[in-house]
Amino acid sequence: MEHTMKTTPLHGWHVGQSANMATFGGYDMPLWYPSGAKAEHLAALTGAGLFDTSHMAVLTLHGPGVRDLLQRTFSKDLERCIGPRKGPLIAGRCVYGVFLDTSGWVIDDAIVYQCTDQDYMLVVNASMGGPIAAHLRQEQQGRPDAKIVDHTDQVGKMDLQGPAAARILTRILANPEQVFEKMVYFSFKGSFNPQRLPADPLTLLDGTPLMVSRTGYTGEFGFELFIAPEHIEKLWNLLLAAGQPEGILACGLAARDSLRAGAGLPLSHQDIGPWLFACNPWLFVLPWNEQGTAFTKEFIGSAALLTAGNAPCTLAYAGFDPRKITISDTSLVTDLDGKPLGTILTCTTDMAIDRVGNAIVSVATPIEAGRSEPFAPRGLCCGFVRVEQKLPLGTEVVLTDGKRKLKVEIRDQIRPDRTARTPMHTML
Amino acid sequence: MKELEELHLPDDVRYTDEHEWARVTGDTVRIGVSDYAQDQLGDIVFVELPAIGDSFAKGDEFGTLESVKAVSELYMPMSGEVVAVNTALTDSPELINQQPYDAWIIEIKPADRSEYDQLFSAAAYLDLLKG
Repeated sequence: MEHTMKTTPLHGWHVGQSANMATFGGYDMPLWYPSGAKAEHLAALTGAGLFDTSHMAVLTLHGPGVRDLLQRTFSKDLERCIGPRKGPLIAGRCVYGVFLDTSGWVIDDAIVYQCTDQDYMLVVNASMGGPIAAHLRQEQQGRPDAKIVDHTDQVGKMDLQGPAAARILTRILANPEQVFEKMVYFSFKGSFNPQRLPADPLTLLDGTPLMVSRTGYTGEFGFELFIAPEHIEKLWNLLLAAGQPEGILACGLAARDSLRAGAGLPLSHQDIGPWLFACNPWLFVLPWNEQGTAFTKEFIGSAALLTAGNAPCTLAYAGFDPRKITISDTSLVTDLDGKPLGTILTCTTDMAIDRVGNAIVSVATPIEAGRSEPFAPRGLCCGFVRVEQKLPLGTEVVLTDGKRKLKVEIRDQIRPDRTARTPMHTML
Repeated sequence: MKELEELHLPDDVRYTDEHEWARVTGDTVRIGVSDYAQDQLGDIVFVELPAIGDSFAKGDEFGTLESVKAVSELYMPMSGEVVAVNTALTDSPELINQQPYDAWIIEIKPADRSEYDQLFSAAAYLDLLKG
């Protein structure tokens, strides 16, 4: 199937760096570079990591009917989703949620960005631009008040993640003070295409426009950057050069997967997917009322969620050493006596954490909070399981591939002391 | 990922098609994994070692390597009894990535020394990798 494999505009760079490549979402992507996945994982916690994420798909939606279309299809209530007081989505803010089908099954997860009253942007997973555009068009039924444009492979995207991300970005932006002012978690500025998606000017020092979003998929402080594809290699090289003092590393999908799993974030089509979106760690994306008893709006799939009975539960876990189970047809979760409980969805190793007594400690944990110095974590196996019944936190279960058995613990959090929500002014 | 011509394939060991190597040191044989194996696996984060005194037949699984990518079984290039295990790998599994031919995994007393001669030479192993 080599002839149908897609590539990102940075593919030549990856291959030139002797990255270990693999197919993901139909794209030939780097798994890790010669520095190795462990060093890359650690870089995103101690300095900065730079990830090519141009395989993800961008849609833009334009017109007076867009907000209503999103209210009918997206899981978040756009009128009640921002901050502790649940304000409406406004220009410059973005929200994470899911698109469900009428059965309440996940089609994909997405971030919705409001650029203006009538211009929105959606970021969905690799190869999902077409299916999500089709889903929205079907719901729109040809009404002209919302134009849906699929920009798959026409937007360059990279993620700059880690505590040094803002300091590094400062060195290459034309107006960094303006950009970082009041830039809270899940807000953004600029545009990768100012003609199509109007925004206050935000450019590189040479005037190239880009969009800077304070979001990411690692649980750590950082940004997702969107730029026209013809400029992506320039931006990539500028960031790698600017980040040298902080030890920036180009990072592949292996580090991306271990970082996101340790942060408790789901991988679409693996941890969430074609099954009922219920009893999982991510129900905060649903439009709950204040009491958490009902939804504040109806949307595709909401009726199925409200009428469903007991559904299997997806739970996070962490192990006691770095060993993993390879997921296959024979892998499963059992209780300590070997009775089958369910399936393993994700099993990876967060290489920045280890157990100190009963606690999990990360390389980013402050010394006063329990990290020793020096701290050389061996890493802990972690991920998500899907079991028939909800299990209390602290329950020990066994992951097995049919041959080896690994004891792990059901948890609500895996990697502690994550930096994603750290106030911007402390990171500059 | 290394190109085939970049691989380090020394002549003082012999290789298997499962990418282990074996090196005769006096009466015993040390066993490890090849540069190709460590490069394919990526960072090794855990090594599961057998116990001293365990006996295995040629082709038996004697342990596992845990890399960022996957769990990989280790197979005996020759039959024999484990007389030593490299405990340095318990704390520093990355030694296998750094020095694959110094970072031996187990040392065995071979049951049949002639099995060594059936293993691949460096040139034959390279041909195998070239497919």
